[in-house]
Amino acid sequence: MNKTVNINLAGTFFHIDEDAYLKLQRYLEAIKRSFTDSQGRNEIIADIEARIAELFNERVQNDRQVIRIKEVDEVISIMGQPEDYLVDDEIFEDEPQMAYERKSSVSKKLFRDTDNSYIGGVASGLGHYLGIDTIWIRLLWVLLIFGMGTGILLYILLWILVPEAKTTAEKIIMTGEPVNISNIEKKIKDGFDTVSETVSGVAKNVSDSVSGAAKNVQDAAKRADFQKQGNKIKSSSKTFFDTIADIIMFFFKVIAKFIGIILIMVGAIALISLIISWFSVGIADIVHIPGMDFVQIAITDNAPMWLASLLVFFAIGIPFFFLFYLGLKILITNLKSIGNIAKFTLLGLWLFSIIALIVIGLREASEHAFNEHVIEKQELYITTNDTLNIRMAENNLVRNRYSRHDSFKIANNENGDKTIYSSDISITVKSTTDSLASISIEKSADGRDYEKAMARAKNINYIYTFKGNQLYLDTYLSTLSKNKFSDQEVEIVLYLPVGSHVKFNNNTNNYLSYGMPSNYANHYLKVTEEGVTCDSCEEDENEFEVNIDMPNIKIDENGIEIKGDKSHLKINDEGINAESEEVKVKIDGDGVNIKSDK
Amino acid sequence: MKIENTKAQMRKGVLEFCILSVLKDDDAYVAEILGTLKDAKLLVVEGTIYPLLTRLKNAGLLNYRWEESTSGPPRKYYGLTETGKLFLTELNTTWSELQNAVNLVTNTKKQQENE
Repeated sequence: MNKTVNINLAGTFFHIDEDAYLKLQRYLEAIKRSFTDSQGRNEIIADIEARIAELFNERVQNDRQVIRIKEVDEVISIMGQPEDYLVDDEIFEDEPQMAYERKSSVSKKLFRDTDNSYIGGVASGLGHYLGIDTIWIRLLWVLLIFGMGTGILLYILLWILVPEAKTTAEKIIMTGEPVNISNIEKKIKDGFDTVSETVSGVAKNVSDSVSGAAKNVQDAAKRADFQKQGNKIKSSSKTFFDTIADIIMFFFKVIAKFIGIILIMVGAIALISLIISWFSVGIADIVHIPGMDFVQIAITDNAPMWLASLLVFFAIGIPFFFLFYLGLKILITNLKSIGNIAKFTLLGLWLFSIIALIVIGLREASEHAFNEHVIEKQELYITTNDTLNIRMAENNLVRNRYSRHDSFKIANNENGDKTIYSSDISITVKSTTDSLASISIEKSADGRDYEKAMARAKNINYIYTFKGNQLYLDTYLSTLSKNKFSDQEVEIVLYLPVGSHVKFNNNTNNYLSYGMPSNYANHYLKVTEEGVTCDSCEEDENEFEVNIDMPNIKIDENGIEIKGDKSHLKINDEGINAESEEVKVKIDGDGVNIKSDK
Repeated sequence: MKIENTKAQMRKGVLEFCILSVLKDDDAYVAEILGTLKDAKLLVVEGTIYPLLTRLKNAGLLNYRWEESTSGPPRKYYGLTETGKLFLTELNTTWSELQNAVNLVTNTKKQQENE
């Protein structure tokens, strides 16, 4: 028992067995593939169908009779195997357009080979496209996956963007063979076993011309593009100028491919680095990795960090994605479009991100629109004869710093509240005509408006202690983290009576304001009307110790000693002593002494 | 190099000429043309003729008209155009020249072999 199908073949109605129908359909499809539109494909097929209908008619006695596979086989044997339809190109070379189309059909395209796939068929498709064994591509994927997961991202992108080889014709194009009937028939018969089998099988089966073309393709696949182009030029009778144009076009194509590769690389690298950085910021924000809090505190506005970073990600990432996509499009001609919806969504998302970032940026900037400060002043009971010693209070919070500006820390204070510690502190000395010294603590902060800035400035805590002649200054200011970080600063101004003395401990060095020479630390300074002067400071006060101890050269606190094979130089507290083979020079308390052996 | 291919190419080469010749006097539809060519053993399978007919038609050597048929759908009747007739005359000349040339070459060889 067989299922039947009703068909209309060239205007005539036929009952046909399902298997016979499938065979006929495959046959007609195979023939269709052998013609191009310029050859009048539709007309030829219509004629052939009409003839097949006629032949069927001869074999059907009445309307109730069904066409079986036997009749189809008969008709095919009369009409001929698909390759018999081939018009021999060599004979009809006067139609260059046809020749061109035939050649263009042999160029490879990138498809995903889902028949030989592990995941999405990307690797095997690339293998066909590049003409190398799939195993190497798979190995490369694995390597790339270890390389920061680049492989995974690239794989997913290619999976989405590269179309799957669905039809037989696409599967043949993928392997780079010419799409002709024999190949199609072969593929269908073989059930797509292995590609290599097909290639070798095809070479045996097809007629001379077809196998010639197949060889061309195989050769061309092995050779560089340029040679392929060269073959094309040779085989067709083109004029000189056509050839020139071809060569120019070829170079344009090469340049375009090169640009494509660069675009892909730039796009991919930018995207990958963006994703990595976004993940590190985003995850840190969500999971609350200790030490990452400061990012959140730095954003004075209420926009959460993950949102801001997502916006940045879109604003930068989307253009790079389009670059990447453009590059792929240049390289791979049959690339699946991502679709207008996706394109416009991305464009919209990008515009939205830009606008949102501008808004956030403006709000952020307005946070610094006002800078206000509060001043606390206290008198220091010290007389002109006393020397004020100033040193930073030792603390274990802010340690090992090299510059006062880089220190910024978030920690819990003794009450367990999250607190910002900053070392944005500067010390200035000013002279005053008052007989009493005083210290003035100027706390300042930024804010969106006057009240906010003022409130923030007031919320700055700064502690100093004054004991005897010693002024202990904290190395940090603190404020609760709910106040947010907004350029909180503390400026310490010491008003000292003219004629008094002050000494900065070495550890204040990093906090002295820019008006104070850093080598003033650790010296007794005298307060004058203009500011402070240093009596004991020397010009070359850059104290640093050098210790070099090598077999021939020795530099230390005792002096310099250099020994050569037959010479000797010594500079120390006693004087200079230089000796060589022929002359000796000695300068010391006794005078200058030059001695020559000769 | 296979003998079948050479044979096929030889046949294909003269096929266009033969199709035009069949249509010299009377218009014919495909089955008729096929019949003549198959009787002459010029064609082994029918498929070959369709692309050729379309080619000749596109080149302006042939035209066709539809004619109702008593048994089945309408048929396409092909005929020569004026250009086609000129083309055929020229091909005829070439063919006889070629025939002579081939005869001459093959006969000379035969004679040489006989001697």
